[in-house]
Parts: sequence; C-alpha cells; structure tokens
Amino acid sequence: MAIKSVKDVKRKEYYIFSPFLRIFHWIMVAMILVLFVTGLLITKPMNVGGTEPAFTSLSMDLVRDIHFLAAFILCASLIMRIYGFIINKGDRLFPRVWEGHFYSETVEVALHYMLLKPHHAPFLRNPLARGSYAMLYVLLAIEILTGFAMYLMANPASSFGKIFGWVNTLVGTEMMSHYIHHYVAWFIILFAIGHFYMVVRAEFMEGESEVSSMFSGKKVLAHTPKDANELD
Amino acid sequence: MEKRESLWEAYLRRGFSRRSFLKGCVALTSLMGLSTDMFSKVVEAAETKPLPVVIWIHGHECTGCDESFIRSGAPLASDVVLSSIALEYDHLLSAACGAPFEAHLDETIAKYNGQYILAVEGAVATKASGVYCMSGGHTFTHLLEKAAKGAAAIIAYGSCSAYGGIQAAKPNPTGSAGIERFVGGKPVVKVPGCPPIPEVMTGVVMHVALFGSLPPVDSDGRPKQFYGNRIHDTCYRRPFFDAGMFAETFDDAGAKAGWCLYKLGCRGPETYNSCGNLRWWQGMSYPIQSGAPCIGCSNAKFWDEDPFTARLPQYGKLGDVDKIGAALGVLTAAGVAGHAVASVIQRNQRENLIDEDHHE
Repeated sequence: MAIKSVKDVKRKEYYIFSPFLRIFHWIMVAMILVLFVTGLLITKPMNVGGTEPAFTSLSMDLVRDIHFLAAFILCASLIMRIYGFIINKGDRLFPRVWEGHFYSETVEVALHYMLLKPHHAPFLRNPLARGSYAMLYVLLAIEILTGFAMYLMANPASSFGKIFGWVNTLVGTEMMSHYIHHYVAWFIILFAIGHFYMVVRAEFMEGESEVSSMFSGKKVLAHTPKDANELD
Repeated sequence: MEKRESLWEAYLRRGFSRRSFLKGCVALTSLMGLSTDMFSKVVEAAETKPLPVVIWIHGHECTGCDESFIRSGAPLASDVVLSSIALEYDHLLSAACGAPFEAHLDETIAKYNGQYILAVEGAVATKASGVYCMSGGHTFTHLLEKAAKGAAAIIAYGSCSAYGGIQAAKPNPTGSAGIERFVGGKPVVKVPGCPPIPEVMTGVVMHVALFGSLPPVDSDGRPKQFYGNRIHDTCYRRPFFDAGMFAETFDDAGAKAGWCLYKLGCRGPETYNSCGNLRWWQGMSYPIQSGAPCIGCSNAKFWDEDPFTARLPQYGKLGDVDKIGAALGVLTAAGVAGHAVASVIQRNQRENLIDEDHHE
C-alpha cells in the first residue's frame, strides 16, 4: 500500500558543484542585483535636493560607494571561483567546445526548447546552458574591464590606471566605456531572467534537481544523464 | 645663421627692468604647471635660450583656437608672439600675404631646418586627395608634410588637429582626421579643446620654447600638467554631485542655485582638461560655472556622442537604453511565461499519447 506523496524510486547522486562554484554563484546573484540597481541610479541619480551639500546625506556618493564595493566583492569571488576551477577537477569554467558532440547536443537541446522536439537527452551539464554561461562570463569580463577603466581614470598616471587605461583607447573614448558598461548590464539582466526560468523549468518539467544542486552541489537523479561518465 | 635673441635680451631691448623679467619668469613657471623649485631653471633658460622659431599653420578648422589664443591673459598673447617666440609664419596673424609670404615659409623651413617648432591648428582633409582644404595653392596635407619634415617638435592645437574635430562627425564627408599620421613620426604634443584654454596654449608653446623639449605627456600625447585630471574631479560643483543635488532642467531652482549639471548631460566625468582649476579668461569662469554642462570638447569623438544634454544616446520614439531594456525585460518575462505554458501543454500531450499506448 503506497502513500501517494511518497514514491519508491531508485535515484543516484552526482556531485558536480564544488563549494567555490556554489558560493560564487550566490554572491554573483546578490552582487548583480546590487550592481544593476546602483548602476541605474548612477546613470540617472535620485535628486535629494536640500539646501547645501554639507547638510545632505551624500546620497550619490553612497550609491557609488555601494556600487564599487559590490564590484570588488564580485571580482574577489570570481578570483576564488577560478582558483576553485584550478584545484577541483569537477569544476568547469567553459563548455568543452573542442569536443564535436557539444554542438550536436546543443542543437538537440535548442530544438527541444523551441518545442520542436518532445524531449532531449538528459545532461548533468546541459550544453546549451553551458554555452549561455560562457556568454555570461564574456559579459562579466566586459563589465569588469570597462568598469575599472572608468573607475581608475581618476588618476590615469597610476599603475592600476595604466593596467586598465587601454580599454578606453580600444573602444574609442571613455564615454564609450560608459555606454558599453550600461548596455551590457541590461544584457546580463535579460540573461538572468532567462536563466531563472530555464532552471525552474528543468526542475519541474525534466525531473532535473537543478535548483537544489546549486545549494547542495549534488544532482539526485532517477534517470542516467548522457554525460555521467564525464565525472570520472 | 644670425644670432637670435633670448627672452632676457628681448626684455633688455625693450627697456624692461630685471625685476619685471623675473616677475615674468614666475608667471611662466606657474603657467607651465611647474613647481616653484623649477624657477631658477626657467630664469636660466629665459636668459640663454634663443627665442624659438615657430611656424604656425592652419588646416581644416574654424581658427577658433586662434581666437582663444589671442585672449591669453598671462602671458599676454602679444607678449608671446612678439617677444617670447620668433613667429615667422602664421596664416592668421601675419600681415603679409601672397607669393612673398609663401616664399618666406620655404626660406624659414630651409634656414631653421630641424630647429623650428611647428604649431598646427586644424585637421587634415583626407578624402579626394585632400582638395577639401587648400593652402597656398597646395593641399593642406602637402603643406603639413613639408613643414613637419624639418620640425624639431610639433604642437597640435585644438581638437581638430588632435582628433579630426567636429567636421569629422559622422558621416565625415571630407575624411577629416588628426595630424598625427601625416607628420612622418615626429613627436606630436596634443593640446585638444574646442578651443583649448588660452593659457594652456601659451603654456605649452613656452614650455617647448624654454626647455627645448616637449612637456611630459600621457599615453594619448597630451601634456600631463593640463590634461591629467577630469573636469569632474576638479569641478567646484562636485560637492553637489556627491550630495545628490542636481539641476533637472535648464531653468529649474537647482540650475539657478548652481547645482550639479550631471543630469543635463555634463561630460565632466569623462573629460580631461584644466577648465576646473585654471578656468577661462584669467580664471573668470568656465562652461559649467556659467550653467552650461561640459560637452567634452577636448575628447576625441565628442562630436558623435550626442545628445550633449543627456547621459545616454536616444533612439527617437524608443527612448534610451533604459526604456528599451525595461521593455525587453518585460517581453522576456512574458516570453518565458508563454514558453512555460506551451511546455506544459506539450508534456500533457506526450503523456496522453503514452497513456493511450499503455491502454492498447
């Protein structure tokens, strides 16, 4: 006599996300939200008014400081993430684009998401999702480069200023760095909306333990993913 | 070669006292952005260095830089032109004209080969073999290449000669470009601005004149002492920015009270110039002080970064990227919601099929 809410299913645990990756992920979530909101406020600041600067709350200064602090935290956690990638065999930064099956599998998953195929082969590391994370890292890199190129130009002659100053030269002008920084921020938010949906969808539609794995590091699956052998 | 007089000898000839000479040197030292420790070196150079020969040519431009230059207050432009440099050739300030004037240019180039300073105002018109800018019967490109060959140093005055100027704005029909690629690798010090601050113009030419070398420059070739800081970081309205006190329109209470012009598109945060500390007309004012947001006139390509009165580019009825981004965000959210519904329907259909298979 089986209780309806209890299923007797044999499941396997696949450990794929190291603490470095998981902590980075959640710091990144928080920091992207902080950076996005403060960034919009820096471009179009709130007008606190008042009588003179000495008697106001330094709101713009505060918003900028929060933005810079969040940026430094994000960069620090990204460095930790890369360190974790180096010491953990299981962590991946970029998809294995040099393996031919990556492309055919990406197409297969994309066809399923376009509702043209009823299902796709199950993966521990969904190739289409992995491709989008690689894109996210590129967007983050653009934000970091243009961000520091603007931040450090308070003193272009400083050694850090020289390390990032070339970015402004590369994109043409410093104003262009502002534009790119702002536009790419919107792309990151669009990615976040899509990513949030796809993860929840994978959890409910495809029986992947996608959401909980970013907390526990494990995927607990009843089916056998196609890339299970890549864990060895 | 005849002996050319030094600044001190020029003062003596005109009957000025030693005291006024030293006072002039003090003014020069501070104008060149040098520390007072350098004062004795400035005096030494002014006593011994012969006045430098300067050839000043004008290309694809409006001569607004000269309008700025002749308003230099300390030193007076007349003092620079008549007693601090030996200005041999200048399209705008010379009384002479015609064939003898052009012949004098050739004589000067030959006589002071490798010694003269070449000051260039205006861009190079590169399209159609350069016919959009003619000078003395030749293209300006020809004149520039000829004059640059024997120059000891080249000063690019104004945003035109440094970066191409407003006539290089899209679609740039004349192919206007900065002079750097047309001077055969000679060192160029850029003094951008539309126009540059008068005292910056005289300060740079006096630095070259007295020390015989270009002033220390940044990675873009601009003198560090004048272009080392953003206007934003030297602006007297910066406290209003930090506090969050902004003028929202050109005629609101904030604008009248002199609050920060950031929300009216001020380019101070991206612009390197001395407007904030040196200001214009002997420190009287500068655009931000008079209530006009900085347009970044000393930046390369500032002419394409419109509108000057907003922080972000506008796309007609679509608005700026914040409006478009928010709309795309809503569309994406609606899209994923639709996708979720479609996914559920697809799964139910599939399960129904499986169920039917099961019953058979």
